[in-house]
Amino acid sequence: MNIQEIYQKNKKNIFFSENKDIQIHREKLINVFITDRFDKKSNESLKNINLKNFFDFKYKYLLPEETSVINNNQDSSYSIVSVNGQCASFKDDKIEITKISDKDYNDFSKNNTIEKNDHFVNLNSLFLNSGFKIIIKKNNNIKIKISNIVTDDDLTIFQKNNFICEEGSSLSLIEEYENKNNSTSNILNVIKLEKKSSLNHFLIQDNSSNHNLVITSHSSCKKESFYNQRVYNFSDGYVRNFHFSELLEINSEADLQGIFFLKDNNTSNNKTFVKHFAEDCKSNQVYKGILKDRAKATYFSNTHVDQVAQKTEGYQLSKGILLSDNASYFSKPELKIYADDVKCSHGSTIGPIDENAIFYLRSRGMSKNAATKILISSFINEELSSIDDEQMSELIQKKLIRYLSKVK
Amino acid sequence: MFLEIKKLSIKIENKNILRNLNLNINEGEVHAIMGPNGSGKSTLANVLAGKEDYEILEGEVTFKNKNLFELNIEERAQEGMFLAFQYPVEIPGVNITPFLHSAINSKRNRFNQKEIDNLSFAKLLKSKASDLGIDIEMLKRSVNTGFSGGEKKRYEILQMSILNPDLAILDETDSGLDIDALKIVTEGVNKLKTKSNSFLIITHYQKLLDYIKPDFVHVMNNGSIVKSGGSEIASEIEKDGFQQFQ
Repeated sequence: MNIQEIYQKNKKNIFFSENKDIQIHREKLINVFITDRFDKKSNESLKNINLKNFFDFKYKYLLPEETSVINNNQDSSYSIVSVNGQCASFKDDKIEITKISDKDYNDFSKNNTIEKNDHFVNLNSLFLNSGFKIIIKKNNNIKIKISNIVTDDDLTIFQKNNFICEEGSSLSLIEEYENKNNSTSNILNVIKLEKKSSLNHFLIQDNSSNHNLVITSHSSCKKESFYNQRVYNFSDGYVRNFHFSELLEINSEADLQGIFFLKDNNTSNNKTFVKHFAEDCKSNQVYKGILKDRAKATYFSNTHVDQVAQKTEGYQLSKGILLSDNASYFSKPELKIYADDVKCSHGSTIGPIDENAIFYLRSRGMSKNAATKILISSFINEELSSIDDEQMSELIQKKLIRYLSKVK
Repeated sequence: MFLEIKKLSIKIENKNILRNLNLNINEGEVHAIMGPNGSGKSTLANVLAGKEDYEILEGEVTFKNKNLFELNIEERAQEGMFLAFQYPVEIPGVNITPFLHSAINSKRNRFNQKEIDNLSFAKLLKSKASDLGIDIEMLKRSVNTGFSGGEKKRYEILQMSILNPDLAILDETDSGLDIDALKIVTEGVNKLKTKSNSFLIITHYQKLLDYIKPDFVHVMNNGSIVKSGGSEIASEIEKDGFQQFQ
């Protein structure tokens, strides 16, 4: 069955299918699927994936019976359980949570910075069946933890979320993805940071091998705002992390970092892209990967500096450890600079574990296995030691220990 | 015999490095090996410590009556062998203190001895570091990372004093040290000397041997020991160089 047929058959269960503007947009998207050659070489969104699994799928969606938002006013923290992409509505003097609306959809579809040939984003728009919008009100400092749960096998979740941090607000957002069923989640997060706001966004991914997770995010930063993203991918199933950031106004900053731990035949595709559109902005893109067995990964990083974005600082770094001859990690950093007063750099180092370091540690009495584990831990030590949240630090350490227990 | 090397021949990547090398070290002895660049001194040190990229063509080595080649790298260390590296490896992210704590306990575990607890180890480390003039702040850093050449060598000796080996192999520990650092490092070595442990010191220069008195000096050339004797050999080398042995 082709995409058009899948859409026509299921459109009653898809959000906003009666909205005229959205219908027109979706017709265009269907046309893209019909005319595109799905060339893996020229389309970064298609690398290392089985096209049949993602583009010739059986659509299935179930509305959840229950979702919840619990808030603890004492420490301004909120726990949200998002089930099949749905979240209960909630409102207090600090935050407001609503369902995603057709207006939000249109705002997104009119955004020109979104890559038109990203077929996963196009699928998300076409089959949208869930999502929510969270507004952090002006000058509030809060913490939100979202547990993303998928209830049944064979579900196809297409979810759009909007996060809006109003002026002077500060949000610490932890998103957990720990699903064990045979489903696919395709999630798009659109994040807006108003003047002097900040968002520390942590994504912990630990799905089983039969669960596919595709996450795309678009963040835009206004004057003196800061978007900080940390991705920890421990999943046994396919994960795609594509994250885009736009620095729209002076003194804004984006820091996009990730670590992935892959094993068996698993694959992960990663991309970060920062566009500098204003003076005195900073960006940092760092991804590190540890791959064993026959695992495969890609990481594309990209910094675009507009001609008005003088005094830009933009850094990119990619590092990988291959624990097996059959593991592979493809990394491609890119810089496009149209301003003349900038500091930008990129670097990429991928290879096996340092045998000289192993020899040194073993010569002091450590076993080969212990030396390997200590070197893997040290490889990501900087990233792990910078986690301020004690509870999350413990959680990540626990998952790291579980991964290391399978390293021989 | 503590360490006995019999007719040892080694090659790496089709190049013979050690040829028919013989050396015996008894308990409590200090041996020095001197030789020109490329004579095979560091290869010998690495082979003894267990580096795995060498091919053993023939010969045997026993350490404390055990066949050394039947012990892997860590087993040799746990049995009491220690190599102070010529070029200590920088390992960012691995903190010195837990690393050394884990190293000392791996040795104790081998002999079913009780592990040293955190507090006792911290005290031991502090006291040994102080003896070697090592700043406590340095112990908060990653292994060899950002250290100067002298700091790295001093840190090697600190590890040696913590692990208290039966046989310590010092591979050009004097290289890169200024005279003050050389004095501190050699004092550290001399403090460790007892009747029951032995040292194999590899160096180019007599200077180190002014501070650590060897019982035997061997000259190595082209992968073999070509002359053995007392400390007078070091003086001969200082005077006339290595040419006379080629």
